[in-house]
Amino acid sequence: MKQFDIAILGGGPGGYVAAIKASQLGAKVALIEVDKLGGVCLNVGCIPTKTLLRSAKLYQDLLASASFGIDIPDIADVTINWENLMNRKDSVVKKMVSGVQQLMKYNGIEVMNGFGTAIDAHTIEVNGEKISAKNLILATGSSVKLPEIEGIEEGYKNGVVIDSTGAIALKKHPKSITILGGGVIAVEFATLFNSLGTKVTMLQRSDVILKNLDEDVRNTIQRHLITEGVEILTNTTLKSISGQTTYYELEGEVKTVTSDFILASLGRAPNLKGIENLKLKVGRKGVEVDRHMETNVKGIYAIGDMVGKMMLAHVASAEGIVAAEAIMGTKTEIDYNKVPACIYSFPEVGVIGYSEEEAKKAGFDVGTSLFPLSANGKAMAEGETTGFVKIVHDKKYGEVLGVHIVASHATDMIAEAAVSLELEGTIYDLAKTVHPHPTLSEIVMEAAHGAVDKPIHIIKK
Amino acid sequence: MFHVKFADIGEGIHEGVLLKILVQEDQAIKEGEDLFTIETDKVNAEIPSPTDGVVKTIRFKVGDKVNVGDVIIILDDGKEGVRSNMEGGETIPESKSEVQSESKSEVQSEPQEQSNQPVKVAVKEANGASVVGQIEVSSDLIASSGEGRGSETVQKHMTSRILATPVARKMAKDLGVDIQKVVGTGPQGRVMKADIQTASSGLEPKPSAPHFEVQSPEPVRASHPQVKVEEDRVQRIPMTMLRKTIAQNMTLSKYTIPHTLVMDEADVSDLVTFKAETKAMAEAQEIKLTYLAFFIKAVVLGLKQYDYLNASLDSEKDEIILKKDFNIGIAVDTPDGLMVPVIKSADHMSLFEIAKKIEELTEKARNKTIGFGDLSGGTFTITNYGAVGASFGAPIIKFPEAGILGVGAIVKKPVVVDDEIVIRSILPLSLSFDHRIIDGANAGRFVGYVKMLLANPKLLVML
Repeated sequence: MKQFDIAILGGGPGGYVAAIKASQLGAKVALIEVDKLGGVCLNVGCIPTKTLLRSAKLYQDLLASASFGIDIPDIADVTINWENLMNRKDSVVKKMVSGVQQLMKYNGIEVMNGFGTAIDAHTIEVNGEKISAKNLILATGSSVKLPEIEGIEEGYKNGVVIDSTGAIALKKHPKSITILGGGVIAVEFATLFNSLGTKVTMLQRSDVILKNLDEDVRNTIQRHLITEGVEILTNTTLKSISGQTTYYELEGEVKTVTSDFILASLGRAPNLKGIENLKLKVGRKGVEVDRHMETNVKGIYAIGDMVGKMMLAHVASAEGIVAAEAIMGTKTEIDYNKVPACIYSFPEVGVIGYSEEEAKKAGFDVGTSLFPLSANGKAMAEGETTGFVKIVHDKKYGEVLGVHIVASHATDMIAEAAVSLELEGTIYDLAKTVHPHPTLSEIVMEAAHGAVDKPIHIIKK
Repeated sequence: MFHVKFADIGEGIHEGVLLKILVQEDQAIKEGEDLFTIETDKVNAEIPSPTDGVVKTIRFKVGDKVNVGDVIIILDDGKEGVRSNMEGGETIPESKSEVQSESKSEVQSEPQEQSNQPVKVAVKEANGASVVGQIEVSSDLIASSGEGRGSETVQKHMTSRILATPVARKMAKDLGVDIQKVVGTGPQGRVMKADIQTASSGLEPKPSAPHFEVQSPEPVRASHPQVKVEEDRVQRIPMTMLRKTIAQNMTLSKYTIPHTLVMDEADVSDLVTFKAETKAMAEAQEIKLTYLAFFIKAVVLGLKQYDYLNASLDSEKDEIILKKDFNIGIAVDTPDGLMVPVIKSADHMSLFEIAKKIEELTEKARNKTIGFGDLSGGTFTITNYGAVGASFGAPIIKFPEAGILGVGAIVKKPVVVDDEIVIRSILPLSLSFDHRIIDGANAGRFVGYVKMLLANPKLLVML
């Protein structure tokens, strides 16, 4: 029986990063993955969707080329080659996955392809072979959870009802799609398909989409989606699905919407198969862990979506590092309040820390400052002026509590705010930091000036 | 070489007098052995050697005035470069480049000898640094292994400043926490917001600061029996420098001097009236006349009558030293802690002059502009805990004085005068005195005399 210091179940962004970190710290590591390395993120999540969104953006830009002074003689010639769109996506994913394979190889990590079952706290069985490990890191991820709606199972079987994995592997360019849900993934797919010319209808249960985000952010995104042609129906109750038709109740009346596909984007559930023998404590969100990602069983750690603290790839990776370090003797932890989250809509959203409402609820003496993208030179030059940055701060010391950015490159811009929060920065530091011109990042500095006193490039009374 | 400096011992003291030098040049000493004693207003601090070595140079004489940061003794510790027991303030402009260039030349001059030994290099301190204790900084430079290109050296350098987040710095300032003493739990020992909150609330910080080690230059010397506790049932709080100083002073005084207490109540009804009447006169001269001025006046007159209370005991010579000066210390509660400014030659001052001096010194103590001269040379001390409403107390004598008078709050009380109960303003008095120098009877007489003077303010101003 092969002996390892650490066996890791799951080769997604949590598992493979934990494997690299543990290996760097001197551990002998086995990584067990049933499918392809890279998990949901690389194969059917972050990376493929962003690849498709790039095509969608380019398509939109071409359609709008005249406004940039570029004429395309017959705009009808600008067409989408669905097959090649998918091919490009596949080739990017392939490159990424093979990159991870290389990383495993060079870090001396033994990758085992197959479904790993935990026999006990120190033994894993893969393809009939048993391996022994001093510690386990569980990183099995999550799967789409289908809500209990009449007809949804049948729809899923016949391919009309799809999940995010299905949505990025459609054979044909869909004419219309109904999206069930109003979360981050729902918004990204709404953006994608709407930009590719598909008629999009979103059915949201509550009164707003993106309901956990700062009010200014969700209002801006919702308004923008509607302007771009997405039909957003809120306060709806899903009734049943029959063929391509979704039945829902709105203001007491049962209505219908019919489309080529129905995308179920109503949440994910942790993957807990194969670890039943470990007798782990499982809470409402997933496997319960302490601050160092250790479960109730000593020597068994759990990270990523299966823990469910924040179902984000970068959180899984960060947790993987925490778990690897804990096993190798360094206790670190993650402040989940300082983890950025992104939405790849057009414009993008990047948020971190407290929203205005949360900060007030938490008892801070809250100050806010908002600076619009429309007053930014680079944004005007690029013709993308929808958006803003909003800084939520504590008036006592000026500590930056949260930053909420809506901008064409918000997901890249939020990193600055993440550094500021991690270093417990203040609005004074942000305002004092010289930002390059002309960049979108200037609006962060401007908002900070606004938080301290007044912004420079806008008139604030 | 190791430069032993006079490190800041807190309380806003920037200078002291070299009281004793306990070593000689060329003497070999071990880490922890006492090198010299510094006298300041509050502490007679014995400074232990921070390292093993041989005393190379003693740069001051006994009786010399020394400032914080002065190099007192240079030790040869057998290592290259210059180190010191004092580290700079929160920011050290350009220190990084200085360190690097300095080390580079050294490394290059003797590449063979140093090839496998880490080279320690002095870290320059910032101007006006106010550091308590020493901070050992990893400023080791790893010299090249000698293989490969000869002239190029690989240097690994760690910056030598106190890492703290902007919010932590602001919060430390706001809460009065000395950030230099806080053990940071962030990356590289960075002091985080939570560390300041922990320090402020007196909780024990989490132990994970691998790069910074704060040491105290002068440990509390009193020997105590070891406190036995169940570690998981208690919290351990590191003493701040100020706390250690206070502990040391109080222990010294209380363990050395057999304190004895006399308490009495003075009827100050006439003084209350008198002060009210003279208030306008004082104000006309822009003087804030307080009761404390009257107390000082009365104490000085009392000390003249009972001179054994204005004294010190020289236990080595078995002699009592009676002092000709009447320098009255007044305990002042400042945001940073207790300070005792001294009103010099109070016997030559009028009430108004005393009042003016009190105001001046109190102000200086509170905004930390007070000099060493105003904090030293006291012969007797008054502590006015009446300011916080207390009545009687058992104050600890400011070593090596012979007594301290605690004055409580003036309160209206029913008292019996000529067999009738009347309301009078009563001032509680508590005198702690050194029973080795003076006996209870005379101490009681002193209190009685002070009490009589305070009851008869007109007599007080006549004498």
